[in-house]
Amino acid sequence: MYRVLPVSKLPSRATVRVIRRRLATEPPSATPKKRHVVRNILLSTTVLVGTFYVGSTFAAFQSEAYYDFFTENVPLGYSMLSYAESQHWDTMTLESLLASSKKSVESAQRYVTDTINGTPKTVQEAVDNAKQTKDATVKAIQNSKDRATGAVARIKTTVTKEAAQATAVVKHQGEQFSRGVQELIREAEAALAKGIDVAELPTTPEVAAPPAADSSTVYHAPLPIGFELPPGYARPTPPKKPEPVVEIPRLAPISPDLSSITSSEPIIAHLAGTIDDLTVYVEANPATTAKAASVLEAAKSDLTALAARIDKAREDERTELEAKLDEQTRDYTLKLMELEMAAQDRLDGQEQEFRRYFDEERARLTQAYREKLENELQTQTELINERLKEEVIAQGIELQRRWIREIKVRVEEERGGRLAKIDELSANLKRLERVALDNSIYLDENIRIHSLWSALRAVSSSALSSPVRKPFREELRALRHLAEAREDPVASAALDSLEASDVPDIGVEPFADLATWFANEVAPKVSHVALVPDQNAGLLSHLASRAFAGLQFKRHGLVSGGDVLSVLARAEYYLNEKDLDSATRELNQLGGTAKLLLRDWLEAARRRLEVQQALDVVQTQATLASLLVV
Amino acid sequence: MTTKPPSSEDLLGQKYDRCLADFLVKAGVGFGAGVVLSVVLFKRRTWPMFLSTGFGAGAAYADCDRSFNPARIPGTRIISELEAAKK
Repeated sequence: MYRVLPVSKLPSRATVRVIRRRLATEPPSATPKKRHVVRNILLSTTVLVGTFYVGSTFAAFQSEAYYDFFTENVPLGYSMLSYAESQHWDTMTLESLLASSKKSVESAQRYVTDTINGTPKTVQEAVDNAKQTKDATVKAIQNSKDRATGAVARIKTTVTKEAAQATAVVKHQGEQFSRGVQELIREAEAALAKGIDVAELPTTPEVAAPPAADSSTVYHAPLPIGFELPPGYARPTPPKKPEPVVEIPRLAPISPDLSSITSSEPIIAHLAGTIDDLTVYVEANPATTAKAASVLEAAKSDLTALAARIDKAREDERTELEAKLDEQTRDYTLKLMELEMAAQDRLDGQEQEFRRYFDEERARLTQAYREKLENELQTQTELINERLKEEVIAQGIELQRRWIREIKVRVEEERGGRLAKIDELSANLKRLERVALDNSIYLDENIRIHSLWSALRAVSSSALSSPVRKPFREELRALRHLAEAREDPVASAALDSLEASDVPDIGVEPFADLATWFANEVAPKVSHVALVPDQNAGLLSHLASRAFAGLQFKRHGLVSGGDVLSVLARAEYYLNEKDLDSATRELNQLGGTAKLLLRDWLEAARRRLEVQQALDVVQTQATLASLLVV
Repeated sequence: MTTKPPSSEDLLGQKYDRCLADFLVKAGVGFGAGVVLSVVLFKRRTWPMFLSTGFGAGAAYADCDRSFNPARIPGTRIISELEAAKK
């Protein structure tokens, strides 16, 4: 604010500077406020929106919940966050923020200067040409330039230490110039720098106003006079100002006079406070009021005078200091540039030297290592070859040994296998032998049974079922031999008893003959003696029986009764049924004369029954044997 | 069958045949003896002839009866064991 006067008063070095400065200093003088209402609204809304987005971005990086809210509910929030992440805002610290803000301010300044310098085109063109050439060189030494800026920063700090008063100014300007200042426009740089310095002012208040709300970006360092805070920083609220504001209401008579002074000078405010205390004290003691009133008045006037004096002195001092500061700024800028250039040159030279030295060293080391490696490789190869040869020989021996062992094992296995096979074969043979033996036994048994059956059939056919009686001793003997060969005790016993009798020689009456004999001869004659008593039967009883038997009814069928005629009827019935056994049993019951008459027939029937029973026994045995065999 | 020695059922028939033959022989012998006696001794009387025929027939009957019941011997009696035990 104060700079406006001296700068405008200064004799213009170049038209560029003057115009630029005027343009730059115009926005802070709040005179054209009413003319730019629309612009102000636009700017403020832009600033507010930008602040909101930037602040939201940082807040989103701080809190996860707000991050989600911001990406989902705020338009362009996601793109904003992605941009911020691409620019590494989330890892941004205070220093980096400072540096980046400086960079942005500088670029903005450059843009502003470029746009503002539309009128002084001749100079600006020259400057642009120079900038273009400069940019080419700058790109060529991009790496070293960063290092140079680091060195410059260090140098700047030393400079600031030497110049205690202008430290902040020089530092600020040096940082601003660290990237923007070039060699070719070294002379115009001082003027340009001031122009940039002032051109920065209109942007800073706008930016700095909103962030003052959050207390995290408070700038505590002392600010040089006439300089504003960097964007995003706020001045700490002055702690001393509230005090006088509190006191002034108490000293109603004095405060109006001193209110303008106390606001700028805390010491005077303190003094005024003391006087107020005194007045309060005096008012509290009405006795001393008269005496003290004049003294208080004098003190008040003195104080006012003092304040005025201080104000004036300060004003003078300020103008003086301003001029001095400008001068010093220029000097230090020049010095700074020289130092920077020298440091840059030196650094470039050093870097080239270092690079060359590094290349040489690398080549040398590479060579040495390669030689060493080759030597090592050779020795290693020899060693490995030697070891390989030994290993090959050892492995050959080992393999031979293993082969021999394996062959032995194989031979043993083969032999064992053959022996096992032979054993198996012999076992199989034995099994086969046993099977064959069993089979032959079965066969023999079968043959024996078969022959037994044949003999039995022969005996049966010749003895029992032949139409005439004929002897069967030959057949019986064959059957008996077969039964004895089979060691069948039952059959043997039956056949032995049969053979011991004379039945085989005589033969057996056929059943038909027996039946006919009984029906035609035996039964009528027996019925004639049916009435003969068993004992003392003389000629007369026989004649009477013969005479009266013919008068009896002839009975037929299976009739009951123990008399001779009933028995005869039952025997006849049984014989009709071909049951010789039952018929014989019935007739055997008779006694007396009838028994005498029946003797021959009974004997023949009994012989036949004996043979039949023996043959039945043998047949049962043969059936059992055949069942056992199968 | 018929060639065989007589079988048991023809036993009675044989006895009857023998009895008849014996009766004829003994009765004929008695009749002849009675005719001789009556002519020689009894002046041709008839009663000796009938008597001797009767003797012959009676002897034939006794023989026949004995053949049917050989146990019946005059003066003897066959008793059963029970009866013997009673005595």
